[in-house]
Amino acid sequence: MKSEHGFIRVRVDWGLVGAMLGLLAIGTVAILSAASPLPYYSAILQKHFLALGVGTILFVFGMGFNYQIFQDQSKVIYALVILIMIAVLVFGETQRGTKGWLKFPFFSFQPSEIARLGTLLVLANFLDRRAKSSHRVSYVLGAFGVTLPVMALILMEPDFSGILPMFPMLLAMLYCGGANLAHLLAMGSYGALSFALPLVWTMLSLNPDLTQSSVILESFMRLREFDVPFLIAIGGILLGTFTVFKLMRALRFNAPTPIFIVAGVILSAGLASGVFVDHQLKGYQRNRFVAFLVPEADPRGAAYNVRQAQVAIGSGGLWGKGVFSGTQSRLGFLPERHTDFIYAVIGEEMGFVGTMAVLALYMLLLWRIVHAARVARDRYGYLVCCGMAAVTAFYLLVNVGMCLGLVPVAGVPLPFVSYGGSNLAVTLLSMGIVASVYSRRHAFY
Amino acid sequence: MAHWDRGLQDRLNFLWIACYVGSAILGVRLLHIQVIRNVYYARVAESNRTQIIHQSAPRGIITDRRGRVIVTSKPAFSLIYLPGETQDASRIAGLAKSLAKELREDSESLHEKLKEAHEEEAAIHLAENLPLKTMFKLSELKTIYPGVDLIVEARRYYPNGATAGHLLGYMGRMDKRSWRRLRAKGYRKDSWIGKTGLESKYERQLRGVDGESRMEVDAQGHLKRKIGESLWSPGANLHLTLDLEMQKAAEEGLRASPSGMGGVVVLDPRNGAILALASTPDYDPNLFLLSGNERPKDYLKNLPEFNRAIQGTYSPGSTFKMLVGVAMLESGVKPDEKVYCSGKFRLGRRSFACLKKTGHGPTDWMRGITQSCNVYFYTMGLRAKGANIERFSKMFGFGKKTGSGLKGEKGGNLFGPEARKSKKKGWYEGDTVNLSIGQGELLVTPIQMAVYAAALANRGTLWRPYVVSKIVYSDGTEEPAEKAEKAGVLDVSDDTWDLISKGMRSVVTNGTGRRVNIPGIDVRGKTGTAQNPLGEDHAWFVAFAGREGEEPSLALAVLVQFGGHGSSAAGPIARRIIETAFAPREDL
Repeated sequence: MKSEHGFIRVRVDWGLVGAMLGLLAIGTVAILSAASPLPYYSAILQKHFLALGVGTILFVFGMGFNYQIFQDQSKVIYALVILIMIAVLVFGETQRGTKGWLKFPFFSFQPSEIARLGTLLVLANFLDRRAKSSHRVSYVLGAFGVTLPVMALILMEPDFSGILPMFPMLLAMLYCGGANLAHLLAMGSYGALSFALPLVWTMLSLNPDLTQSSVILESFMRLREFDVPFLIAIGGILLGTFTVFKLMRALRFNAPTPIFIVAGVILSAGLASGVFVDHQLKGYQRNRFVAFLVPEADPRGAAYNVRQAQVAIGSGGLWGKGVFSGTQSRLGFLPERHTDFIYAVIGEEMGFVGTMAVLALYMLLLWRIVHAARVARDRYGYLVCCGMAAVTAFYLLVNVGMCLGLVPVAGVPLPFVSYGGSNLAVTLLSMGIVASVYSRRHAFY
Repeated sequence: MAHWDRGLQDRLNFLWIACYVGSAILGVRLLHIQVIRNVYYARVAESNRTQIIHQSAPRGIITDRRGRVIVTSKPAFSLIYLPGETQDASRIAGLAKSLAKELREDSESLHEKLKEAHEEEAAIHLAENLPLKTMFKLSELKTIYPGVDLIVEARRYYPNGATAGHLLGYMGRMDKRSWRRLRAKGYRKDSWIGKTGLESKYERQLRGVDGESRMEVDAQGHLKRKIGESLWSPGANLHLTLDLEMQKAAEEGLRASPSGMGGVVVLDPRNGAILALASTPDYDPNLFLLSGNERPKDYLKNLPEFNRAIQGTYSPGSTFKMLVGVAMLESGVKPDEKVYCSGKFRLGRRSFACLKKTGHGPTDWMRGITQSCNVYFYTMGLRAKGANIERFSKMFGFGKKTGSGLKGEKGGNLFGPEARKSKKKGWYEGDTVNLSIGQGELLVTPIQMAVYAAALANRGTLWRPYVVSKIVYSDGTEEPAEKAEKAGVLDVSDDTWDLISKGMRSVVTNGTGRRVNIPGIDVRGKTGTAQNPLGEDHAWFVAFAGREGEEPSLALAVLVQFGGHGSSAAGPIARRIIETAFAPREDL
């Protein structure tokens, strides 16, 4: 299956490179514009171009490097990831309440970014090695076990939005790795419970009339604390599943026993971690939920950012107001304008044409990553690319969705476009690895 | 295709499609807000960045008959606040506190104002007409608190202080009732409006059209630059018939009088133009425009707003005797008929005294008016009859407003058989006796007395007093505001006028009004000392004057409340005014 085409043409995926360059170009222009009214403008530009340079080197390095070495050195990578995350907890610098920065003489960076890439590589190795037992529970639980320590360390910083991409990454890699759908479903419902419960509680606490009028809702609100009602609920769940199990047996309706055990465990564990997450949620995070659920409640409070982002994008119109001419961003109405809300700057200054161009470039990029996964010469490469695609798609959907008010504000950047050196460098290194998978797609050469 | 597992590719494809579907949703949303709802969002963004600052147009200038400025506008600094997007409550509270210290105002009410500005998202005035010292301190504050800014505005200014204050009125803040009435006419909630006097009466003309600056502001409320503006156009100028010098003379005279309380009206007997209209105590209208920290606290509480010249009603006393003379002479009394004055006049069992206790002896018209002999007028008043005197009182305009159009003017009170009848009471001869010397229930205002004096001067024409001669709009067009207008003509014989006029001349040359005898000027007048139950007598002086050999060019009425004798309290004021009026002028 060796190609007869020219060497370079075959080894380099110009579609991927083109999409990346396009995104980087748009992002750089948007940063130049958005950051220009800031007092530390030149520092931002310096860091951005430094990151671009470093990123380019990393990309070329990643592409030239045989990705299979990452599989061989999986244990080392894993050890490094854990080590660097511990290091940041010990020596790290605190910015905005998060101890997530390692400072070096000439630069500082966020280890959680590199940790995520490392986890992805380690996870791909794990799933590849266990491919034969992919139908087992241990496949899902094991993968979860591999990720858990890294997530825990990131949470300890604490960096809530830092672990967000880990979930789609884990789920997508398990799914593409061939995990049993029932297992995935169970894990998914556990995860959904842990996040949905705090959401529902927050929502209900906004409407005290509702809870006071209903006994069921009121007792549901009581489950928020690790207290007697909580224990009763756990007992009730276990008793309930056992009763249903007995009832089914009595009716000679043969359902496999593990289903009931798993159901009971997931419901209890989901409730427990729901309470845990609810306690861990910080005021501003809860406000973001509230702002997303009921933006009208307080248009000048937490919903303000989202509102201003939409005004910026909407006012851009078809062609935009022109680069360096966006009033929303330049006059400071748009928050986080060169980082998380950069897409709103593009929307305001480059219009519908600009926003659609970014979407289109992302579609091209995703297509090339997925293509690299398809043609990868081994399952490891395939899994790595699946993870990369999932993370990239997650960032895109959540960040743009956030700017458009479709998703709660999560504080995630838009890779290639947002200002942020660590993310840019690691993203480019990740794309380098994808390119490496692509260029080494032929089993024999 | 890779060799390892074909089945897994379907799962990847499914995920990939899911991503595309998600992106398609984003695309649809983008289409919706950027293309379909673009106009709406563009408007929101535009209103985000623009803040409209209103600039009060200068009000029209008010000048006297010679074009000298009485009221004008001058630039003053105002402190405004532009609510930014920051909704930090502690910040606003801090700002209120700092401002309260500088402006010496209540921090609570300032805080309320700031919060209101945030709610309505509109710029507001925090303080106006700031003195330089405060301004410098505030410009420091400006750097700490974004949104606070100083702008220059035209502010009302009364260069002569209290002069003509009662007539001009003063400016004030919009109250709720005026706001309901004026909101549709280009006024804002923090607009200043004329509250009283001419400022209020000519509010519509004096007020210009306010200007607007559309400023670009950032999220913190910092002014960035001007995007656009519409210039104000100033209000119309008022030309008054007032003579600034005479006005000042009248006020100074009143202030120097024994009680310091009184009213003066000076008219041109040829057309009814008001040359001076003064009342003391008075106040400086500038006080209302001071910023909070400069305004004296108690001053405004006991504001002497009572305009004695048009609102005060008093017995006319002996100044009424010309009217009695007219009634008497017109009903056939001969001027050379003599009445013996013994100092007392008996009517039935009652006794009425004359001013001179020893009596004036045999008294004819000229002696009677010159010496202000009461007994002569008691006798002749009875001859003329109360009904006749009342008829002439009406003809001279007493008992009703003069029609000057000045706010708050009083009509006084008629006294006579008819007035009694309407109250279902009888009229007695004793009442006629009282009326003959201007006592009793008869009450008149100084402006009525001035109209009366003018009618005596011009021999029977009752002019409606007016003070605004023309309105000149900023585009140059003129509009006559008020015209000379006759309110009535008295049908009285020339002989009678001659006798009245001669009598008044004699008062000044030989009688009680000698203090007002000015060489070269033909002053004719009458003193009055009106008894009243409230205290000291009211002093009156009513006169008209002209250069010798010319027709009279001014008529005046001076009242000093509780001033005592007309000749000593009111006379000097009249003299001062007349001297000022006929003093050689540099500008003429």
